Amino acid sequence: MELTKNITLGVYLPGKSFIHNLDPRTKIIAATIIIILLLLSRSYAAFAVSALFIGSLMVLSGIPTGYALRGLKPMLPVLVIMWIFQLFLFKEPGATIYFHWWIFEATEAGLHMGNLIILRVLFLFTVTTFLTLTTSVVSLTDGLESLLKPLRMIGLPSQELVMTLVIALRFVLILAEELEKIIKAQMARGVAFDRGNFIQKTRKIFPVFLPLFIGAFKRAEELIVAMDARSYTGGRGRTKMKTLHMGRVDLTAAAGMTAYSGLLIYIIIFTKPMI
Amino acid sequence: MSLSVRKIVISGILGAIAILLGVTRLGFIPVPTPAGHATIMHIPVILGGVLEGPVVGLITGAIFGLFSFLQPGAPFFADPLVSIFPRLFIGVVSYLVYFFSKKAINLATRPGASTAPGADDTSPGPTTAGSKISRILPYLLAGAFGSATNTILVMGMATWRGYLPAEVSVSIGVLHGVPELIVAAILTVILVQGIQRIRPSEE
Repeated sequence: MELTKNITLGVYLPGKSFIHNLDPRTKIIAATIIIILLLLSRSYAAFAVSALFIGSLMVLSGIPTGYALRGLKPMLPVLVIMWIFQLFLFKEPGATIYFHWWIFEATEAGLHMGNLIILRVLFLFTVTTFLTLTTSVVSLTDGLESLLKPLRMIGLPSQELVMTLVIALRFVLILAEELEKIIKAQMARGVAFDRGNFIQKTRKIFPVFLPLFIGAFKRAEELIVAMDARSYTGGRGRTKMKTLHMGRVDLTAAAGMTAYSGLLIYIIIFTKPMI
Repeated sequence: MSLSVRKIVISGILGAIAILLGVTRLGFIPVPTPAGHATIMHIPVILGGVLEGPVVGLITGAIFGLFSFLQPGAPFFADPLVSIFPRLFIGVVSYLVYFFSKKAINLATRPGASTAPGADDTSPGPTTAGSKISRILPYLLAGAFGSATNTILVMGMATWRGYLPAEVSVSIGVLHGVPELIVAAILTVILVQGIQRIRPSEE
């Protein structure tokens, strides 16, 4: 059992493309806008425009499309099941019935509903994967911290919140090593984790969880003492070693995003939704 | 509002455990249903709420939600309204249930204790058993309600957003939610008692 080997936090693919060179703040804002627009999209035209836009971003980034969509593979069966559920179970009075079998009816409304949710999920998934593929976790947290900074004025401790995220990301790997030791130690004592029925398997979780949590809390207490000893006071007066800079590329990106969002908002308002 | 170092660190580390349970798939317990697994990834969030209060519960929930949004395990988690929004409430509900059930139990047991002042050690039988249950019960309830919050809100949002028909959501909610609830309740009791032994004493 090699837990630490298989851990990938984000699937960042380093590169020097236009998209890679963008400021992380630009990418976070753009991704947020695209996600909101996708959540509001209800027509085939809107999804077609988004497909063109996201497709061209992918070409610009130089990331192989096959690689970007690899993560979708394990989800395909669930997507198909979700589509079938909608096709047969979505009810709307007066909808055209395509075929009828026993208690099941495939209606036109169900077909459109199925298509809508599948398209939405596929696009949302592509956008989040694309963001993590082109932006490292470190620059994502840096960008997030800088974007949340103005919220300090309304009393939100933004830097402290980002600090919790940074601690979480740092500790995943440390705790993974600890978890591996615990599992190996229990296996050496004869616990067979892959055998038994549902209840027996669940009971084997307990001797792993307890040492894991206790170990984690011990580390937490140590870290608290260490941070207190160094007088950590949150974000006040703190400077950064690497500062973020918006450049020409970000301006170009902003222009592109404005054109895309303008067009999509027009489509969302004036096109007849599919359902 | 400012966050103490303790709150920052505990939220971060519990968030790390939630992410770890997701990436190693240890947070999924095999259940004999079509989907094949129930989740216990929300246990760290419940613990955050019970041990450190609603703020830590909220932040840990946000980290858990953000992670399941960026690396979705099921297709509809790609929608932030299904993956992030419901998770914000797990820790807060756990804390409220813990706080109020503890208060209620304290109120209910006080008259019994006051009738025999100083006689605690003479009748250890029924009173210690009773006090053990009254000590464990708030954690048990907090775990159960925290887990139920996760199931109900996630399935509710998935239905409201149109990803699953209501009939399917309810059956998944029952098939997965009940084992999740039982495991979460038991784990919360065991973990809290274990963790409290190594924490600097407050109570």
